[in-house]
Amino acid sequence: MSGILDVLRRPDFFELLRQHVLLSVAALLIGIAIALPVALVVRNTALGAALAVNVGNIGRAVPSLAILALCQPFLGFGFDTALVALTALAIPPILINASTGLREVSTDVIDAARGMGHSGGQVLTLIQLPIAAPVVFAGIRTSAVQVVASATLATFIGGGGLGELIVEGTQLNDTAILLAGSFSVAVLAIITEVGFGALEKVFTPKGLKIAQKRGR
Amino acid sequence: MSSLALLLQDLSSIEDPRLVEWDWISENFWEDIVPAIQGHIYLSFVSVAIALAISLPTGVLVSRYRKAYPPVTFVTGLLYSIPSLALFGILISIPGITIGPTPVIIALVAYSLLILIRNTVAGLDAVPAETIDAARGMGLTSSQILFKVELPLALPVIVAGIRIATVTIIGIATIGAYIAGGGLGKMIFDGINRGFPTMIITGAVLATALAIVADLLLLALERYLRPWARRRRT
Amino acid sequence: MIEFRGVSKTYQGSDSPVVNDLSFEIPEGEICVLVGPSGCGKTTTMRMVNRLIEPTEGEILIGGEANTAMSGTQLRRRIGYAIQQIGLFPHRTIAENIATVPSLLGWEKQRTAERVDELLELVGLSSDDYRDRYPAELSGGQQQRVGVARAMAADPPIMLMDEPFGAVDPITRERLQDEFLGIQQNIKKTIVFVTHDIDEAIKMGDKIAILKQGGFLAQYDTPENILSNPDSEFVASFVGNDRILKRLSLLRVGDMDLDPVNGGAEGLPRINERLTVRDALSELIGSGSTKGVVEKDGEKRLLTMEAIEELSRAGNASRE
Repeated sequence: MSGILDVLRRPDFFELLRQHVLLSVAALLIGIAIALPVALVVRNTALGAALAVNVGNIGRAVPSLAILALCQPFLGFGFDTALVALTALAIPPILINASTGLREVSTDVIDAARGMGHSGGQVLTLIQLPIAAPVVFAGIRTSAVQVVASATLATFIGGGGLGELIVEGTQLNDTAILLAGSFSVAVLAIITEVGFGALEKVFTPKGLKIAQKRGR
Repeated sequence: MSSLALLLQDLSSIEDPRLVEWDWISENFWEDIVPAIQGHIYLSFVSVAIALAISLPTGVLVSRYRKAYPPVTFVTGLLYSIPSLALFGILISIPGITIGPTPVIIALVAYSLLILIRNTVAGLDAVPAETIDAARGMGLTSSQILFKVELPLALPVIVAGIRIATVTIIGIATIGAYIAGGGLGKMIFDGINRGFPTMIITGAVLATALAIVADLLLLALERYLRPWARRRRT
Repeated sequence: MIEFRGVSKTYQGSDSPVVNDLSFEIPEGEICVLVGPSGCGKTTTMRMVNRLIEPTEGEILIGGEANTAMSGTQLRRRIGYAIQQIGLFPHRTIAENIATVPSLLGWEKQRTAERVDELLELVGLSSDDYRDRYPAELSGGQQQRVGVARAMAADPPIMLMDEPFGAVDPITRERLQDEFLGIQQNIKKTIVFVTHDIDEAIKMGDKIAILKQGGFLAQYDTPENILSNPDSEFVASFVGNDRILKRLSLLRVGDMDLDPVNGGAEGLPRINERLTVRDALSELIGSGSTKGVVEKDGEKRLLTMEAIEELSRAGNASRE
């Protein structure tokens, strides 16, 4: 136990933690910046939305190690390569959820909104987005957890991160280092899951929470 | 049109002897590649089977005794949140567990419990109360109702869960190669360590293909079992 | 106030029009009901007034001006819109829902809040109880009332209502219809009302436009005239074989010209003067008597089946 704490007090621990968080945050933000606009563009066409969801589904099936590894021969080792791979991993859950979330806003509600004189842009910002927000956020949350977990593997292509401790511990056969790495990654992942879960609740409009409770 | 030219350029660069050496592939196909595929399928299949054997009965029990559901969800959710490499690390630190397929299978099973149990419960919940009532009224016993009415009706949702679990397992099994679990991940790691792109690309592409094929097959099964859904999309 | 001139609508890729050369005028302050079987284009016609659908031919004039004079969005903020499925915004409170058009128009907060309270009371919902609730907390009937209040919020001179009372049970629907008619008596808006139910059309409409499949106007007239003088076989059969009786439901016993009773009133059934003539006839038949006594303004008057018969024949061109 004390051995683990010693590892955590190592000067490079903080640096590894910083790299891990930086990679994850950057990949998530870029992923959102790519996936959301696409979902917005396809929101009014059934074909476009179906295409987006299918692409997303295939993307979700790809093993994270495979994406990280595939980037290496073409982009080399390092932080940037890992960032590219992790961004690719971040996109699918957001794309799927944002596309379906926007499509599932009731057509009656949209018709009423248009009929009452909302412009196209107003229908999107005042009606569609707020109603779709919970679903979109659930997608962002899934993506965040996935990215934080996969960032552990960044170490294999020179991206740094807490995975390095796990690799070091395995190679040196040092349980303390191994567990320090494993636990810190696990805790980080759980914090992400819980944190984004709370964020999701914040972004769910009150009226929708009530509707959910009543099964409407 | 120019993007097509770029794509062709990229593809032809795969012919580049530095990236994909087709000779190596054809040489080692039966020796290394096929066993890796087999090993991977074995790992995945065994893990899904064990996970199902645990989660189906658990799911049935938990759907009946709902008080147990939150704690079960909490534990399986916790396991699911732990990144794979970390879980592998923790498992091999336990005395008695050495590196090899065992900790990998334990981890893979642990990961899929949440989704399988959750979908089993959701599938059973979706069976209309009237249907169960009618069955009881016709004189079926509880276990007959379970096996002849509830489970068959819950099947599409359960298969949906199996699909997600299988794809996740195939993906994480690649990482299991790091602790000597075998499978296609071994080619990826070896390729990185030796600086041999062909191995990396072969392993990664095959693992991806395996995952996607499994996904599509199970998706077809799911759709086949649920012809009434996915009809209307306004 | 609203004029259709040669309005037609054909969708791309289809060769038959859904609305075919409609021309008629709706006077200000009246309810015009568009009614007909499915496929007759009534909802499409209504939606062309606020340009949710654009006609392929012809034009629609509002107050003498083409409705294309301003943008669709601007136009719709001046026309009330209430649909069958209501479409309340689930993420907004009842007050915010009702305040939708006023906020789009930039009304001042105080004025909007007062208007919301006023409208809630008008549709029979206590403002204190309901303004901060959310749609999911309301029953179907309550939601429908909010839908009507929302359509009226900016006090538009024109309203479009597509089966606005359709999503509730018949008893609630009748109440909503009566209440709305009561409100309309005071505010006199120009209303285009769509329904598939001929009885609702007769009850609600000052004018009825009966549409046929393929979007043709079969007849446009007052309920009275449509029932007395149906223009065609189609209209006659659409209106129903009991159209004579239906006509009798347009009048109340108390409005009839009845002679005072001259003794011999004992034993005769009492008929409430507020009943429709049709319901009064039903009561007479049920009582086994051909006469009844109606009390009105303190005086007893005699209602006879003969008088009812005469009434039903008046203004009725024999077309059968």
